[in-house]
Amino acid sequence: MSISTIQNLLVTGLLRGGLYALMAIGLALVFGVMNICHFAHGEYYAIGAYAAYFAFAVWGLNPILAILIAALISFLAGAITEKALFYPLRKLSKGPWVMNAFLLTAGLSTVLQSGFQLGFGMQYLGITQYWNATVKVFGMNIAADRVVAFGIALVSIAGMWLFLHRTRTGRAIRAVSQDERGAQLVGIDLDWIQTLTFSVGSMLAGIGGASLLSLNPAYPFSGSAPLISSWFVVTIAGLGNVEGAIVGGLLVGMFESVSYFLLGQGWQTVASLVLLILLLLFKPSGLFGTGIKSVWE
Amino acid sequence: MQDVKPVQVPRPNPIAWLNAGLHTLGLSLPFLACVLILAILPIFVHEEYLLRLFVQSLYFGTLAMIFDFTGGFINFVNFGFAGFVGLGAYIAAMLSLYTTLNPWLGLIGAMLVTGLVGFLTGLLTVRLRGIYVSLMSWFVGMTLEALATAMIKVTRGARGIIVPPMYASITVVSHLYILLGAMLILYVILHLIIRSKVGLAFRAIGQNYEVARASGVNPVKYKLINFSLSCACAGLIGGYYAHFIGIVTPELLDMSHTMEVMALSFIGGSGSLLGGVFAAFLFIPVFNSLESLMNYRLVIYGLSLILIMIFYPAGLGGFYQWLKAFLNSSKGKKPS
Repeated sequence: MSISTIQNLLVTGLLRGGLYALMAIGLALVFGVMNICHFAHGEYYAIGAYAAYFAFAVWGLNPILAILIAALISFLAGAITEKALFYPLRKLSKGPWVMNAFLLTAGLSTVLQSGFQLGFGMQYLGITQYWNATVKVFGMNIAADRVVAFGIALVSIAGMWLFLHRTRTGRAIRAVSQDERGAQLVGIDLDWIQTLTFSVGSMLAGIGGASLLSLNPAYPFSGSAPLISSWFVVTIAGLGNVEGAIVGGLLVGMFESVSYFLLGQGWQTVASLVLLILLLLFKPSGLFGTGIKSVWE
Repeated sequence: MQDVKPVQVPRPNPIAWLNAGLHTLGLSLPFLACVLILAILPIFVHEEYLLRLFVQSLYFGTLAMIFDFTGGFINFVNFGFAGFVGLGAYIAAMLSLYTTLNPWLGLIGAMLVTGLVGFLTGLLTVRLRGIYVSLMSWFVGMTLEALATAMIKVTRGARGIIVPPMYASITVVSHLYILLGAMLILYVILHLIIRSKVGLAFRAIGQNYEVARASGVNPVKYKLINFSLSCACAGLIGGYYAHFIGIVTPELLDMSHTMEVMALSFIGGSGSLLGGVFAAFLFIPVFNSLESLMNYRLVIYGLSLILIMIFYPAGLGGFYQWLKAFLNSSKGKKPS
């Protein structure tokens, strides 16, 4: 491997990793606050991609506006899902919450995937690019889209961090993730926080789908690969660990681009999954796991 | 409300005796009647299409039953279930393609290999609990699917392997009888296991892991027994199905396949074993007979899973128990 190949791999890994981190934060949030192992997270990625496709390619809006619309739509989709499904499940179900919620998301994933298939057909709805330009990074020409997507990921992650740490609502979300009953005692409205968390988590996935539209076209099953990758990140970071998800995302991005280069498409998936199994086997609480025993066991 | 009758020593009643005998095997007269109807059906129905539908319903129903053996009793939802079914299918297909082994022995081989992989997966989950176990099985299932796609030299990748039928002159009717027999035998075996001390341990682990452990049940041992058994059965049925449909592709190992089985099993009612079989016979013929419904199949499965989870977790099995209790109480008997 020459220096330039390594450089190339590292840069693509980094760009990929930023978006994995973005999606994984959504997953970690939903998990940490609501104890939902979100199996349908990839479908909100697809919702974002579809929304951005229609906003940009069909209605001809400005790319940034298209991505914002996609964020809004996936936010709303998340809110509707939470109110329509998880809220009644929380109120009615007496069984083990974590498992029931997990099964529910599995059903939801199937419903949404088939829904896309029926609504938009099996074709790939993609665009060639948002911005017709390239950017020079370390002497390499990289499509502006990828750099902007990475930038969007960084901005969203920073925004999330500020939201969670600097605003009252964000602090309330963190309080609920640390101790639900305690949070309720100090007067936090649990229902509202849970709806908000789920919507924000879905929005992060939607932003990911929208900003990567030129690389991964919208497709009924376009959420599956990002879902696996973001689960990978979350497993590395430890379930529910938001900060760890950022580092984990970059790591997974690098790992995938290197293993893709060395092993090719098919075996790359195998390698990721085997690594994931080994991680779960030896470090069930993740590399940066806090070791706190939580409700989701 | 009722007069107290003097206690009489009941005469040995052949029907009661038969009922008691059937009860230990987990069978009941209404269920046997259903089996009998299915068994004599091929005499009246000659349409191959309809018969294939019943074979398919039996296939999915049996898988849902096997799924329930783990999901409903030790409360561990195997998300990689289709991976194990597909592994069995691939092993059976490759044995009949690359060796001259008798296909029936090939099925045993598929069962053993899948059971072994299930055992190893069980070992992987020894240190894990709750949701992590499901995640691990999901990852294992996906790895199996990725392997089936990537090992092009052995599995021919996405193009799949063409599998010869079990024997040259096999008809759909024989498939129907073989699967019906397999379903009955598997059901009786699984039921006897559930009723035994081992099954008691399964349910103890499923209901409360910590309490079960504290009262001397070794969760690791029983988890491994249960998981290897259900994977072996899944492999056996998968291997048979490979011979029935004649082609195995990596699609068979896909998550959507697990979803179908899982939905049927939960619609049937978790912990009821037979519920999944009835759910399969309710859903699959309806989907297939209405062409337009076929496209919505997964939506309906997903939606019914969601609705069942939210509103009626007991499923068909729970409904049957309720109906039985209701009928008994309206007859003035104590619900048994």
